[in-house]
Amino acid sequence: MIGARFRFTRPETLEEALDLLAGAGGLGRVIGGGSVLVPALVAGQDAPALVVDIGRLGLGSVREEDSDVVIGAAATYATLLASEVVRRRLPLLAAMLREVTGGPGLWNLATPGGAACYANPASDVPGCLVALGAAFRLASRRGERLVAAENFFRGAFETERSPDEMLTALVLPAPEPGRHAYYKLKHAASSWPIVTASCLSIDGRIRLCLGAAAPVPLLLDWPTPSTTEAVAAMAEQVQAAIATEWTDELAGPGYRRAVVPAVAARAIRAVLEERTS
Amino acid sequence: MSEAVTLRCNVNGSDVDREVDARLLLVEFVRDVLGLKATRVGCHTGDCGACTLLLDGAVVKSCLVLALSAEERAVVTIEGSNNLAEIQAAFVAENGFQCGYCTTGMILTAAELLRKSPHPSDMEIRHALVGNLCRCTGYDAIIAAIHRAAERRGAVGYAVGSRQ
Ligand SMILES: Cc1cc2nc3c(=O)[nH]c(=O)nc-3n(C[C@H](O)[C@H](O)[C@H](O)COP(=O)(O)OP(=O)(O)OC[C@H]3O[C@@H](n4cnc5c(N)ncnc54)[C@H](O)[C@@H]3O)c2cc1C
Ligand code: FES
Ligand code: FES
Repeated sequence: MIGARFRFTRPETLEEALDLLAGAGGLGRVIGGGSVLVPALVAGQDAPALVVDIGRLGLGSVREEDSDVVIGAAATYATLLASEVVRRRLPLLAAMLREVTGGPGLWNLATPGGAACYANPASDVPGCLVALGAAFRLASRRGERLVAAENFFRGAFETERSPDEMLTALVLPAPEPGRHAYYKLKHAASSWPIVTASCLSIDGRIRLCLGAAAPVPLLLDWPTPSTTEAVAAMAEQVQAAIATEWTDELAGPGYRRAVVPAVAARAIRAVLEERTS
Repeated sequence: MSEAVTLRCNVNGSDVDREVDARLLLVEFVRDVLGLKATRVGCHTGDCGACTLLLDGAVVKSCLVLALSAEERAVVTIEGSNNLAEIQAAFVAENGFQCGYCTTGMILTAAELLRKSPHPSDMEIRHALVGNLCRCTGYDAIIAAIHRAAERRGAVGYAVGSRQ
């Protein structure tokens, strides 16, 4: 059983949830799938006063809104993997989702929204959301705001979200899908990512976002290259763009920096050669 | 702070109404409060899958779920699952277990896979089992058992559900 006591609520309205969070100061936690928060509570790494379960707030759906796809914060990996809208309009997101490990017992629970709020650099989700130009809808008693993914991820395990704010949705612009590739380097099938690369071809340009290489996703953009030398040069530029390398128990100092050019080049080539992953 | 709170849910087809502490995990609720011991704890971190059960009809790792999150929802453990006999027989026939600790999670996960994909490929089976660890068998026998269960079922579909 979890050691430290806390108050648990599973409110039925967003207003109630936001009031509770506002009242908890910095000691309120939102629980999505719980796959990060619950083990942290069990291990005594986090000791909130209040846990707010968003399971009854009706935030679990995927909707098309004009040119955007709006994904509710409580939508699970399984919901998105089964979504025809995601498959059709966000094939890069679908490719990323297929690469998440943990098995159905995790996919049926955990949410990309939770992964984004956790902001672990070594996750599949942040880099892909930055590549897709996602925006984060944050709600609090002070009002609602939309934060672009590039501004949302502020550092390792650090986001723009304040403790009284709840992520209610991910808003993804979904123009006519172009060529895309999701490539990740990891040590074993069940391992978390060492480096991820989300690559898109948009309007004659190549957009590449690297995840896990640095504390926050790294976004680069070029005109479509026409030679293999040009791709190699792009891959070198990606490496040079890493100001601070991310290191953790999966990969120590120098490892990620060393593998980045190969990962970047593979993703770019996959897009140029029209191989989709 | 946290006092005992009432938890109302349905477990294996019966309505349950208990006072629980907010700190209780769903796996602890089924094992320690309700005495349903087939659901196991192997890691408490979401990695092993020994705690797999069904929540609203989908397999979940119940060490990642607070018991109170099951309020007004349907929980099914392997004790309350029907239509598993063929999968269980296939695990026996193929020696798909040794100590048996992982087996309930393996069987419930296999059942969900076969429900969605009646004739899975090797890769599909491996993908579905990526979150279920077995320290005994080396997995080959488990994969063979799931293939065998799929063949035995033939064209006959089946569902996972609670015994009413
Ligand atoms: C076995 C296993 C395998 C995994 N494999 C992968 C993998 O391959 N790739 C990967 O990227 N990750 C992986 N993960 C990590 C992680 O569990 C997931 O990325 C997951 O999506 C987290 O989401 P959740 O809904 O469970 O988060 P929760 O645990 O519910 O929340 C995580 C954090 O975000 C906050 N939060 C959640 N929702 C909101 C909200 N709506 N508003 C405000 N704050 C919120 C919580 O307070 C908490 O701090 C794995 C985890 C496990 C256990
Ligand atoms: S005990 Fe839940 S996954 Fe290991
Ligand atoms: S049979 Fe022993 S852990 Fe799988």
